[in-house]
Amino acid sequence: MQTVAIFVGAYRELSARKIFWLALAISLLVVGLFACLGINETGISFLGWTFESPMFSTNTTSPETFDKLLFVNLGVDWWLGVLSTLLALVTTCGIIPDLVAPGSIDLLLAKPITRTRLFLTKYCTGLLFAALQVFVFSTASFFVIGLRGGAWEWALFAAVPIVTFFYSLLFSMCAFIGVLTRSSVASLILTLLAWTIIFTINISESIVNSGRIANQMEATKIESELANTDDPVDEDKLEELTGDLEKTLANRPTWDRAHFWFFGVKTFLPKTTDTLKLLDRWLLDGASMPSRNEESERGPQQAFGPKRVKRGEFQRAVKADEQSHSIWWVLGTSLVFEGIVLGLATVIFVRRDY
Amino acid sequence: MASAPNAINNSANDLGNDLAIDLTDVHKTYGRKIRALQGVTLQVRAGEIFGLLGPNGAGKSTLVKIMMTIVRPDTAKGTVLNRGVGDPVALAKIGYLPEHHRFPTYLTGRQVVEFSGAMSKVDRPTRKKRASELLDRVGMGDWKDRPLSSYSKGMRQRVGLAAALVNDPQLVVLDEPTDGVDPVGRREIRDLLIGIRDEGRTVLLNSHLLSEIENVCSRVAILVQGRLVAQGTIDELTSSSRRYEIVVEGSAPTWCAESASVRKIPAGQMLSAGIQGESCRLVFLGLDALGAQPILDRLRSEQRTVIAAQTVRESLEDLFMRAVTDPTTGLIYRPGAAT
Repeated sequence: MQTVAIFVGAYRELSARKIFWLALAISLLVVGLFACLGINETGISFLGWTFESPMFSTNTTSPETFDKLLFVNLGVDWWLGVLSTLLALVTTCGIIPDLVAPGSIDLLLAKPITRTRLFLTKYCTGLLFAALQVFVFSTASFFVIGLRGGAWEWALFAAVPIVTFFYSLLFSMCAFIGVLTRSSVASLILTLLAWTIIFTINISESIVNSGRIANQMEATKIESELANTDDPVDEDKLEELTGDLEKTLANRPTWDRAHFWFFGVKTFLPKTTDTLKLLDRWLLDGASMPSRNEESERGPQQAFGPKRVKRGEFQRAVKADEQSHSIWWVLGTSLVFEGIVLGLATVIFVRRDY
Repeated sequence: MASAPNAINNSANDLGNDLAIDLTDVHKTYGRKIRALQGVTLQVRAGEIFGLLGPNGAGKSTLVKIMMTIVRPDTAKGTVLNRGVGDPVALAKIGYLPEHHRFPTYLTGRQVVEFSGAMSKVDRPTRKKRASELLDRVGMGDWKDRPLSSYSKGMRQRVGLAAALVNDPQLVVLDEPTDGVDPVGRREIRDLLIGIRDEGRTVLLNSHLLSEIENVCSRVAILVQGRLVAQGTIDELTSSSRRYEIVVEGSAPTWCAESASVRKIPAGQMLSAGIQGESCRLVFLGLDALGAQPILDRLRSEQRTVIAAQTVRESLEDLFMRAVTDPTTGLIYRPGAAT
């Protein structure tokens, strides 16, 4: 009864805020944009206009696949993963500071409900916004993709728990800062700062890891070439390969050490980027979507990467390494972080006098 | 620094077991220095309106908040509604309106009352029914479906009262319930409090308005610097200050000014004697009309003209001022908790 009342109260609170409706409207607008976008024989179509594209046309991609790519790349990664999350944080950053505000907290603590339950229920109501947002977006996308492409992809709804979990990682920090400072503005700014730091560390680890893999692949490739060299008189080539191998092997400890530290730090932090990448794993597999890396297989060699290894091969190796971390490692370590942050916030909330 | 306040009277020993609030040895220190409550003992009878008085920072709100689990005490022995302090079963039977309450302004009056009921575990049909009844009772029937953002402060106060009553409480704790309410509204709230009491509920009223307390409270307690300095009925508390005043022509008789002579007067003690023009006022503390007769007889035997003679009782304001004044220095205790 009390939990339902708190959730109903949270819904009323959210619905009283204009930004709540604005965010939902933008969500539907983004899906509406999907509905207007399509592909034909020559390129991408938008409300009757056609923009010629060699990459996207019915000759290279099916309309159904195109819709799914839009959902994953634009809808999930950008809208849900960044912009919608920002709006959600702006909307919900005041939930905990409002809870602990004088005059408001008195009314709730005087009721027969434990402080721990009150705080954690309020925390969960903060996730309501993100969950509603993703649910509306996924439902609308489900119908757009289904009606246009004829594929009713239930796997799209995997976005609801994944994005809500991703949001919960950020909101746990927001709640912690909120209970500590009792300020909505401080909660928002410091959470965004923490998100930026976590994102930077995640990206840095990813780059360093790519460098480490590139180094290993390069060395393996050179060693293989050295082993297979049939022309012993080609001194220049032999010298070049030996020199490259020495240089590559000399760099290895630096890459390994850098990766060790970045990975170590990342292990203790919430995996915001990796959590969203779970959508790629689940949605692409579940909905039979093509990987975004398929196109890059045919593209030119990256400036960053092993010189002697094909780009596609390198990217597959990087992706395989990323996916070598199980879903449970991504979720588990993030959950531990969230648990610690939320636990600290709860202890502060429970022990404080108001 | 003024010395610690002394108790004026504490007549709660004969209350028996029928106590809604029975707290002893309540201590609370904020940080390491601010001693908000220093061993407070408070007893409130079931079915009475009890007034909690004290200057700013005396510890009234801290005491109420400890009862409502908003503040964690260092120690708090005793019971509230016959259960330990903070017991959820007891909390479900308490209605509480904090002083600076902040209800969400996007909710309607009805939603505020229903939410309060739900948080007190009142089932849905009951709380819906009671919300309507109570909003009508506090005069907000026509406004119950409008958002609080359109309410005046007094209207929000009325809704707060309705919210405090939605769980059919045995004990109602009200912190400044008439704050921001106009005189007509105050009268209505006073009548409402009396109505609540007549229904058998206990009301703990924390208010700065002494006249309000005097009008509705059967018993009061006065807190000063975290200590309970007075507790009892207003009659009990003011009886010790009861005095008899005699105005006589001319200067004060010498036998009145001599302490030895004063002591000879049965059951009385001269408080002061001040010249008022051609007459003087003799004030005898703790003396009633009967006890004053020998003094009057003596004055008449000395051919003194008695202009006026009457029993005077302290008002609650006088009592309050006496409680907050250091008897040794005559200075009012400085506001705030003891440090």
